[in-house]
Amino acid sequence: MVEKKKISRRKFLVRGGLGTAGVLAVGAYIFRNPIRRSILNMVNTMEMSYMGETKNPMVWFEILKNNTILLHSPKVEMGQGTFTSLAQMAADELEVPFDRVEVVHAATATGNIDGMSTGGSTSVSGLWQPLRELAATMREMIKVQAAVKLGVDIGSITVKEGMVSADGRSMTYAEVAEGVTEWPEVDVPKLKPVSSYKFVGKPIPRIDLEDKVFGTPMFGMDASAPNMLYGAVARPTKIGATFVSADTSKAAEMPGVVAVVEESDFVGVVAETYQQAENAKNAISIEWDAPNNLTTADIESMMTVGNGKSTIIQKEGDAIEENDDRVEVLEFRSPIGAHAQIEPNGVLASVEGDKVTITISTQVIGITRTEVAQRLGLDEENVNVIPTYLGGGFGRRLHTPHAVQAAVMSKAVGKPVKYFFTRKEEFQHDMFRPPTHHIVKGRLDPEGSLQSLEHHFVSGDVGNNSVLIPNFVPPILGADIGSIRGGFVQYTGVPNHRAVYWHVQLPFATSWWRSLGLLANTFAIESFMDHMAHKAGKNAMDFRMACIADDEMGKRLKATIMAAVEKAGYTEEVTNERAMGLAASVDAGTPCAQVAEVSIEDNEIVVHRVTVALDPGIAVNPDQVRAQCEGCVIMGMSAAMHEQMFVEEGELRPIIYGPYEMAFMKHAPKEIDVVLLQGIDRPGPVGEPPLGPIGAAVGNAVFRLTGKRLTKMPLRLP
Amino acid sequence: MSISFKVNGESHTVKIDDVNTPLLWVVRDILNLKGTKFGCGKAACGACTLHVDGEAVRSCSYAVKFVEGKEVTTIEGLGNKENPHPVQQAWIEEVVPQCGYCQPGFIMATAALLKKVPYPTDEDIDNNIINVCRCGTYYRMRKAIKRAAELSSENMETETQKS
Amino acid sequence: MKTQSILFLSLFLVAVLLWATTGRPIAPIYIEVPTDEETALSSEEAFHKMMDVLTHERCVNCHPSDNVPKQGDDSHPHYFGIGRGEHNSGYQATNCTTCHQTENNPYSGVPGAPEWSLAPHSMRWEGLNRFEIAESMMDPERNGGRTPEETLHHLTEHELVLWAWTPGVDAEGNLREPPPVPLDEYRGAVEKWFEEGHKIPSK
Repeated sequence: MVEKKKISRRKFLVRGGLGTAGVLAVGAYIFRNPIRRSILNMVNTMEMSYMGETKNPMVWFEILKNNTILLHSPKVEMGQGTFTSLAQMAADELEVPFDRVEVVHAATATGNIDGMSTGGSTSVSGLWQPLRELAATMREMIKVQAAVKLGVDIGSITVKEGMVSADGRSMTYAEVAEGVTEWPEVDVPKLKPVSSYKFVGKPIPRIDLEDKVFGTPMFGMDASAPNMLYGAVARPTKIGATFVSADTSKAAEMPGVVAVVEESDFVGVVAETYQQAENAKNAISIEWDAPNNLTTADIESMMTVGNGKSTIIQKEGDAIEENDDRVEVLEFRSPIGAHAQIEPNGVLASVEGDKVTITISTQVIGITRTEVAQRLGLDEENVNVIPTYLGGGFGRRLHTPHAVQAAVMSKAVGKPVKYFFTRKEEFQHDMFRPPTHHIVKGRLDPEGSLQSLEHHFVSGDVGNNSVLIPNFVPPILGADIGSIRGGFVQYTGVPNHRAVYWHVQLPFATSWWRSLGLLANTFAIESFMDHMAHKAGKNAMDFRMACIADDEMGKRLKATIMAAVEKAGYTEEVTNERAMGLAASVDAGTPCAQVAEVSIEDNEIVVHRVTVALDPGIAVNPDQVRAQCEGCVIMGMSAAMHEQMFVEEGELRPIIYGPYEMAFMKHAPKEIDVVLLQGIDRPGPVGEPPLGPIGAAVGNAVFRLTGKRLTKMPLRLP
Repeated sequence: MSISFKVNGESHTVKIDDVNTPLLWVVRDILNLKGTKFGCGKAACGACTLHVDGEAVRSCSYAVKFVEGKEVTTIEGLGNKENPHPVQQAWIEEVVPQCGYCQPGFIMATAALLKKVPYPTDEDIDNNIINVCRCGTYYRMRKAIKRAAELSSENMETETQKS
Repeated sequence: MKTQSILFLSLFLVAVLLWATTGRPIAPIYIEVPTDEETALSSEEAFHKMMDVLTHERCVNCHPSDNVPKQGDDSHPHYFGIGRGEHNSGYQATNCTTCHQTENNPYSGVPGAPEWSLAPHSMRWEGLNRFEIAESMMDPERNGGRTPEETLHHLTEHELVLWAWTPGVDAEGNLREPPPVPLDEYRGAVEKWFEEGHKIPSK
């Protein structure tokens, strides 16, 4: 599956600039049909690769005069520590001290953007090979150029800590680069052995750590420009409402209002301050055609296995027959989930003549550029999208069309316009995690071994109808590549097993939410496995081990389960009114097992300790891999135990933190132990896989404690 | 109308028509201090937490008229790289932030807590630190809050010895 | 009372008919203002009018029987785990004034008034009926040692109490519901009841 990737040696750019030593080392990275391959990879629950621009050379590195290497990251930093890991990889191959590498978001004007998105836990794993090759190539180019400048044979050049030395003389990389306009073409050198790396594999503090502690980094919400105005766009509160007409006369007279912008698909206002824009927006009287008064119960009844279209996504052996009274069946449900990221979706757009600058928190830089260019009738080269740090991504920013609305408003007033969602708009116009329903069936043989295991589940859109997936893809694949994440039965050692996916189109947008279908699917399958282990009278770990195939992934999964069990001291006894629950999942090629230790206090589930065992392959930054495990456990607990969007009279509610219950400080476990294993010799996905097991681990612990099987997220005691 | 107050030790007078404008927007858009964040505008998430006369306040829900004659501290004024506040130092030691957006609010809330309760118990932390972090950094935050308490007391001891 | 209701009903029907037949706004309708004597409340009526207010969630939400303030027309526990704290005003560093100022905030929808806080635990009303609340309110052991005059003052003059009639908007900008009796009528009823010796009617 993995094709040897090559750097194009024909295309190198050279650019000088203020503060730059006069050189950029850049390369184009060539890929084969990346979209299709990656989608298929995902279908096979493999990780996605980096999908870079395939045609043009791109700026990857700049050498600054102070001998700092500036890395233009095609991936945005959403909090997962990607920038730090990329800097570690680059520093090791470039032979520069770690603190001499700075990472910035690549803007579209500099070309080095990801062809698709930042998402899918792929930033570090996908760039592992290309970024190191680019860095190593640049190091070799510097050596060749240094040989010219020093008048020595290249063989006598050595590089160390950003310095080139030969014959007792030395130069900084910046000095080598100074004034050079023609760079030699070199072959991609052999990469260093991982064991020799000084930075990769070390728990180096995040490079954005201090900035984030002192309040200095710029998020999309922090963008500003001289003469900037604020925009606001009226949005309906009801699901599926369509615009009929607007009376903007009152809004136009409001203090501070500069313009009312009426387009065929939206009505907005532009005013001097944020509050004035909001006040004016609220004064627009809009008639919406609101077609329904749906309720949560309506959505649940739509979202029931048997509705919609089905696809068998996994099939081995025979199906369980109807009316087989040896078969155990449990049903599970998960609710609509909101992203609830703290930074609202926001954008600053500045249209000057035929040039547009968009500063935005987005996971889809290229798509945002295309959409803005198309709406304004411009060439894409005229639209520069400048990405910023994201105040949480989690998939919420995998489509950011509000950039288009801000650009239209900016064009209308001839000044920069900043626009962001209110929290109510953020909650009601989220692209939610779809609700799901699962029927899991299994049959034991007389010895208590699992003979059959089936997962039948239904979900709304995740990948379907997303701007990331071309329209022709879903009919070919037959299943939504996002919904099915975690929906495959990982117990392929069970002789008869299958997974059947049903798709139901919901009347509101659902889409990517961190880990996609993984949390709900794992909750269903792993709660059921616990049920069957109990039925079989076996230990939850032993029961699972017997069901896992002995292939490479199976071995890695077994190893994580054993590691979690050992570290947690997993027991099925209730001790001091606490009990433990075990669950495991494989997501995008990364296995994860978790043990949750819970008690019940005032009829509420309290999670005291969670043990995580994860096999991410090479942990480029083990501390940040741990941080991802901790974060996934807490975000997963929040989703599995607290969160739920309701549909009331055709409106998605609630609209604010608080009523939208979430895990707070007091709910977070006081102990989270993380064990990292390395089952493969490259980095695998990290940012989502640890979200899988937590719901089931907590539910299974509650079962050990109370004998009650919780089958509905959010998990509540009856 | 003019409103005069101090921010991070510096005196400012702002002219503003709507005196109910949230302090948050005055700090961000007029004084250009962007470290204090907008999260919800409803005093529900705590991203906009700053100090007014040393007390934690959610500035999205604090009309600017109330700040007349008072002293405001924002994340930019709490400490800096050369001289970090103990809470910031602890946050660095424990490598707390992920996306980082909610962190200034948490840091300000924690600094206010330590002023009132130098050695907070887990219960004090649970009761007082009720901001929202979506990345789930609560686990490291709790460790950092306790570490900050140690650092604060070390600082105090040093100062006592000096005097 | 009965005649009055019939009168109002007839007027209303006439108005509806007028509106329906002419399609025009109805002309102002004048009704006779009853004299004081006619409206004079008995002590018991005054009591019930007063208690219609004091049993409303605008009042009871801040007189909880546990240590958790309540919010909204459904009196749900205050979000975010807010509690009474040592001084009825929240926890040490995160307390009422972290979010609630001395006025309602029109943008956030966070309500506010001077001395925003919970009534002390001795003054818990939640779960009590109107007679029990009145007993509690008049009992110096439970009402903070207030004399009847001081209690009257609290009920009719205290800004935090009067906030109930200007409760502002909620997080979505919708007006909060005030108590079911207009402020003037409520004040009249409270004064009347105290004047008449603040007798709690038998249940």
